[in-house]
Amino acid sequence: MSKLNENINESIERTASLKEDKEADVLDTSNKEDEISKYRNLYVIIEQIDGKIVPVGLEMISEARRLVDDFNKKYLLNEKVIAVILGNDIKHLCNDLIYYGADAVIYADDPRLQYHINKIYTKVIVQIATNTKHIEKISPEYSKQFIRPRYMFFAANSTGRHLSSTVLAELESGLASDINKLVIEDIDFRHEHKTKGQMLTFKKTLMMYRPDFSGFLWTTILCLDNKNPEIKRDYHPQACSIIPGVFEPLEKDMSRTGIIEEFKPEFDTKDLEIRVLSRNILKDVIDFGSYKTIISFGRGIKESPEQNIKLIEKLAKLLNAEIGISLPVSKKPFKLSDKINSLYITPERVIGTSGQKVEPTIYIALGISGATQHLAGMKNSGFIIAVNPDENAPIRNECDVFIKARIEDVLPIMIEELEREKMTQTREGGGSVVVGTV
Amino acid sequence: MSLNIAVIIKLEPDFSDGNVSYNPDGTLNRAETKTILGHHSAIASQAAFYAKVKYGARICIGTMGPPMADLALEQSLLLSDAEELHLYSDRSFAGADTLSTAEVLKTGISKMNDGKAMDIVFSGFRASDGETGQTGPQTAWKLGFTFLGNVISYEIDIEKRVITALRLISYGNNSLIEQVQAPLPVFIAIDPSYKSPFITVSQRLSASRYQKEAMIRSRNYKSLLKIFNAKELGVDPKLVGLPGSPTIVYKVEKIPKIKSNRSAQTVENIDPNNISNILEKIHETIA
Repeated sequence: MSKLNENINESIERTASLKEDKEADVLDTSNKEDEISKYRNLYVIIEQIDGKIVPVGLEMISEARRLVDDFNKKYLLNEKVIAVILGNDIKHLCNDLIYYGADAVIYADDPRLQYHINKIYTKVIVQIATNTKHIEKISPEYSKQFIRPRYMFFAANSTGRHLSSTVLAELESGLASDINKLVIEDIDFRHEHKTKGQMLTFKKTLMMYRPDFSGFLWTTILCLDNKNPEIKRDYHPQACSIIPGVFEPLEKDMSRTGIIEEFKPEFDTKDLEIRVLSRNILKDVIDFGSYKTIISFGRGIKESPEQNIKLIEKLAKLLNAEIGISLPVSKKPFKLSDKINSLYITPERVIGTSGQKVEPTIYIALGISGATQHLAGMKNSGFIIAVNPDENAPIRNECDVFIKARIEDVLPIMIEELEREKMTQTREGGGSVVVGTV
Repeated sequence: MSLNIAVIIKLEPDFSDGNVSYNPDGTLNRAETKTILGHHSAIASQAAFYAKVKYGARICIGTMGPPMADLALEQSLLLSDAEELHLYSDRSFAGADTLSTAEVLKTGISKMNDGKAMDIVFSGFRASDGETGQTGPQTAWKLGFTFLGNVISYEIDIEKRVITALRLISYGNNSLIEQVQAPLPVFIAIDPSYKSPFITVSQRLSASRYQKEAMIRSRNYKSLLKIFNAKELGVDPKLVGLPGSPTIVYKVEKIPKIKSNRSAQTVENIDPNNISNILEKIHETIA
């Protein structure tokens, strides 16, 4: 009896230990994959102009911080947010990058990096991204296998868009542009080329969400290794450019500490023949911030654009407002006279994530349907009035007064009322007697 | 010392009213939408034409696309008076992302003008359907050319083989104009605000002479057209089309509405009384 019990116990123990072994095995393989990974950390490429950090850099660090913290918790790893910054006499900016959330900063400080020259900057960024010496200090536990970054962020602005393209062309990996949402997930996926039609798992995939040109659709872009044996290839880093103004920067925290590493770049003499001769900052002609009222128009002007814009000009004058536009208008070749075209159909006037964010006391949206990107740029306004004949337009959920009509139906009446008010005021102001209507 | 110029262009959906068609879910209905030479490709063609008028450049235009993309080549020829047209067309190029598109274009450019080295390659600012603006700089990188983006004007010193260009750079709510100088060869992505400045009388005369020539050439554009499939181009099949694309489109979905804290009062009757109530609200809020 006791013998039997012993046997049973023994077998239970053995099964248990086998089970443990099995679990240990499973854990082991996943950890093994994690241990030997050649791709580590999230690199955020920061831009500076004349010794000032371009704001989108801090926004990217904030989002990188959130992603990497979740990632480390989920995968039991210890990967880092590494900010990379180039320029001349910019060392003093490195502490700020730590205070705003980076774990480490790698900087290159050299007179030859005074101006952003695509060819030179691309080569230096690639040198930094593939440098293992700094990783020994920043991620000692991963430095043995390290080859290049796991993820990379760039700014989706004039410079960052081009820089990301050329860096990723050199690193021969994938890039998604103009991203406004990011998630890291393990996904099961079947693809004719990438997996030869088999369902396979892609771990730690960066899901990059990109609003398309309509502003109503999100396309998720992935950068995936080719696991098909015939065309086997690793594609890292997984990279994207991020729309400025989407993510909130973290609060500056001076108690944060991190590693700051200087990188000494190598230059090709031929590249140094590319020279910036002069730079002139253009005074911004459109200063939305100094107006209490902003009137924006969208595609709803299309039935008679020229006349509608003239009405909008009149209304803006009467309400002392600045005029903005929605993104689609900036791209649409309406038939307009050159004068009106150059005045209003310009990128500087675009309100939304691809343009300016505004918060006036009064915001009047004329013929704007209300794509998410536009709403993001104006929803913090005080009082919002929308004019649109389509009551299902999304703008209706983001306004205080929704006038269901076309621009040409409403504006003439508005203008007439305002002109009448003005007349009355000048008469009153002039001290003359107002004759009441009988 | 003549100039050897390439322009890379794209056949794109025509987004102007009446030509564009959307599916019920808001995606572009490509079958129903007309296609034209992309707006930015047209500006790139005009920028190349400036080099023809001013420096007597020779122009070759290249595009990767379906067989009907020769339409875009014809339209671009009309704007630039090009000597040679290239169409890179192969089923295996379908589904290419920007990196594998750049691979095809780079290979094509190396075959232009009997393989003579290019001095300048022009591209548009971005395509209206993809809108990434990545293909230009990635083609430039693969060619090993200096990339100059957002160019609004340029002048060339033919003797010294140097180009001086103005670039319009925006960052945050500011923008700046940068004057940059670089040795040839360069790759220029032209800014949407570019305008060719034909100032002198002789420039205007030769511009109109070349435009006439372009009209005549375009009538018989097929004689200038060379079509290459993947094999004729000699590209590595692993580097083009879907196999050569690191990125894929995983899914397309409607962007969810953001939570709103407002609930709108809806006004349907447009009479002076209602409007004047709204104006009163405006005055109150501002006061």
